[in-house]
Amino acid sequence: MNNTKKPFSFSLGMMIVCLMLVLAGCSTNADSNTGKGTNAAGENNASAANKTLTMAYTWNPAGVDPHGDDSWDVMRSGAGETLIKLNEQLQPAAWLAKEWKQEDANTWTLKLENNVTFHDGKKMDAESVKASLLRSIENSHLAKDLLLVKDIEVVAPDELKIITTQPNSAIISSLADPSTIILDVDSIKEAGSYPAMTGAFKIKQFTKDVSLVVERYDGYWGQPAKLKEVTMKFVTDGNTRLMALQAGEVDVATDIPIDSIELVEKDSKLEVLSAPSVRTHMVLFNMNSALFKEKANREVVDQAIPREAIIESVMRGYGTKAKSPFPEILPFGKVAEQAAGETTEQLLSAGGWQKNAAGMWEKEGKPFEATLLTFPHRPELSVMAEVIQNQLLNEGITVKIRKVENIDAELAKSDWDLAMYSMLTAHTGDPQYFLNIFYQSASESNVSHYVSKPLETVINKLNETSATEARNALAIEAQDIINEDLPQSFIVHPDNVFGVKKGVTGFIPHPIEYYYVTAEVDIT
Amino acid sequence: MLRFWLERAMQMLLVIFCVATLTFILMRVSPGDPARILLTTHNIPASQEAIDALREEMGLTDSLWSQYIRWLGDVFTWQWGTSYMSKEPVAGELLKRLPATLELASAGAFVMLLATCLIGLATAIFSTGLLDRMGRLMALLGASIPSFWLGFLLIYFFSVRLGWLPSMGRGGLAHLLMPAVTLGLGLGAVYARVLRTNMLEMNSQNFVKASRARGLSKGRILIFQVFKHAFLPILSMLGTSFAFMLGGNVIVETIFSWPGVGKYIIEAITARDYPVIQGYVVFTSFLFVAIHLAVEVFYVRLDPRLRAS
Repeated sequence: MNNTKKPFSFSLGMMIVCLMLVLAGCSTNADSNTGKGTNAAGENNASAANKTLTMAYTWNPAGVDPHGDDSWDVMRSGAGETLIKLNEQLQPAAWLAKEWKQEDANTWTLKLENNVTFHDGKKMDAESVKASLLRSIENSHLAKDLLLVKDIEVVAPDELKIITTQPNSAIISSLADPSTIILDVDSIKEAGSYPAMTGAFKIKQFTKDVSLVVERYDGYWGQPAKLKEVTMKFVTDGNTRLMALQAGEVDVATDIPIDSIELVEKDSKLEVLSAPSVRTHMVLFNMNSALFKEKANREVVDQAIPREAIIESVMRGYGTKAKSPFPEILPFGKVAEQAAGETTEQLLSAGGWQKNAAGMWEKEGKPFEATLLTFPHRPELSVMAEVIQNQLLNEGITVKIRKVENIDAELAKSDWDLAMYSMLTAHTGDPQYFLNIFYQSASESNVSHYVSKPLETVINKLNETSATEARNALAIEAQDIINEDLPQSFIVHPDNVFGVKKGVTGFIPHPIEYYYVTAEVDIT
Repeated sequence: MLRFWLERAMQMLLVIFCVATLTFILMRVSPGDPARILLTTHNIPASQEAIDALREEMGLTDSLWSQYIRWLGDVFTWQWGTSYMSKEPVAGELLKRLPATLELASAGAFVMLLATCLIGLATAIFSTGLLDRMGRLMALLGASIPSFWLGFLLIYFFSVRLGWLPSMGRGGLAHLLMPAVTLGLGLGAVYARVLRTNMLEMNSQNFVKASRARGLSKGRILIFQVFKHAFLPILSMLGTSFAFMLGGNVIVETIFSWPGVGKYIIEAITARDYPVIQGYVVFTSFLFVAIHLAVEVFYVRLDPRLRAS
């Protein structure tokens, strides 16, 4: 036997070690500033003139083109701006457009700020804004649906005229949608180049799956940014985001998992920041299901939902009770609460249901048994489903919870009765888009299969009305019809929740989910 | 030799064809509409016109046959289609992420190999007593502890409590340590148990007795004869595990925010990005076949009896 030969396992081991070292040496240094992982973000903040902020960010954008599917991420970075901004009261406010006027039912003119430059140094004017809007309509289905643009005309170097295909009174609010971010169209003609936008920060580096780094834009038309640089690290796992914050590797963590909020609250170096959102968690009724065709049965479920208890226990207090699709922070969200109706006993007895010996409701020998769908992407919904299941069991109703991976695919089928669901109902601060898409009978997004001619009439009237007061009144009327017919039970409007290091200032959670980084954000 | 390689190449093509076809069928029967998912990313409902237009843009309104033929064409021209999410070719998207996964898989395999050899050797030498009982316990824990739990435990101790290591991301060796241990330690502890058993069995073999009779030292016999022969059956297990790691470890890459293939594929599955999922399956099947081929070659090198046959 030749024992002088090196054993094979040794060779294999050495090969793997060498390969690993070579790869580690070649690896990207994109986030090497985290160093040993101990307070790296803090170390970076040592110099006041070069202060930086690191954020553990929930999403993982595929790119930085604001007219694609990643517009929200670009807006959140502070690099992009739109013609209109939504203020704290979710009212349209001036941003790149300083004023606007409705000429007739289909025509709007907008006067632009005239001291704005793009990140490539070019001046923003009506021509460049027109080109940007046309590009967004061409590339983004949402921009196309929201704006309903027929034509855009340049009236003066700082004035635009937008003509819509039909009366679209929501157009001003819709111009706040991130899919309409204004950019210099010429800046992204070359593959791999970053878009030149108008925000307080400009894109410095985007590394797929890793991070988006933005730096202060010195030619910004407003107050310059207090921070030199912001790094958004893409961390899709909620627990990892939380631990990165606890370890001091990041200054801000978005979407802290609700069941871990206590850990942030108890940490003396951290704090929780939150704001009410325009999101609504709800229970959908399948209006075609044999059980829930009957309004009385929907009322029974609606009455059984312990909304306050859910907010207290499941949402840890970070949410507000929902009475309609739109939260009360919106002027058209202040709907009257439905008066307590008949009891479960009365409702079901009138419908021919009887309690059996076990105390469960049944009709013609069949028990009251419903299927409730839930899905994993919003874990709090599954907990809510269990609370509702338990509550209904106490009422004598059996609910079978079915966890599905893709809720929308399951909703398209007919074999469900109830489903947990979550929607952003007024992401531009206006009710028109949501009511049209979610409640029109011909829409595939009408997942409850709810058909109401009176509601459609009100929605159509809303589409044609431009006066704000009248629009709000119509939106409330629409919600009254919805609450009367009860195609959904609205449970809670969850808060937007962030964990931040103490010392971070100017980071103010906004009800709209796409405003994160601003020029005001600072760190001490 | 030429015939051997030709046979293997044909087998590889056949496997890739079958996998490509099966994946296409499975993706089309699984629930979920990519157009709708993409348009409702932020839970804003999408209009019917937008959904229909995007379905057409994605080619989902074409007949299944034409979609299948287009997919097969993409497979054999090595393009694998265009990602719905990034609008870029799938092959390029996977290749961009491969170095990160390769780095993690190599480090994980190194930890696995180290744990297998160290624990296996130690427990074989001290086959009774405390060390052996600890080895058994480690194998039990390695087999039963889920990697997400071990990963979070490591992050909690070494990042949150001690602040020694970064909790996430890819960078230098410090970034690599915890993900590699999470990936390799459990498997290594399990394989160490197999190595120990094999080594103890080898001890009673005639060639070992003969070596002892010839006066070779205990250490020499243990390392160059017993260990070498006992390691042979473990090699294929290590090869399979390495192939799994190269395919991207979804859980470890997600927990440590490691920008590899595993993290990418989980996002593609959520978004029903058919071209990416299909491309990934073909890619991993290719990896499996290639690694098994490599293991086979190493086997032949290690075992002269196979060389002769």
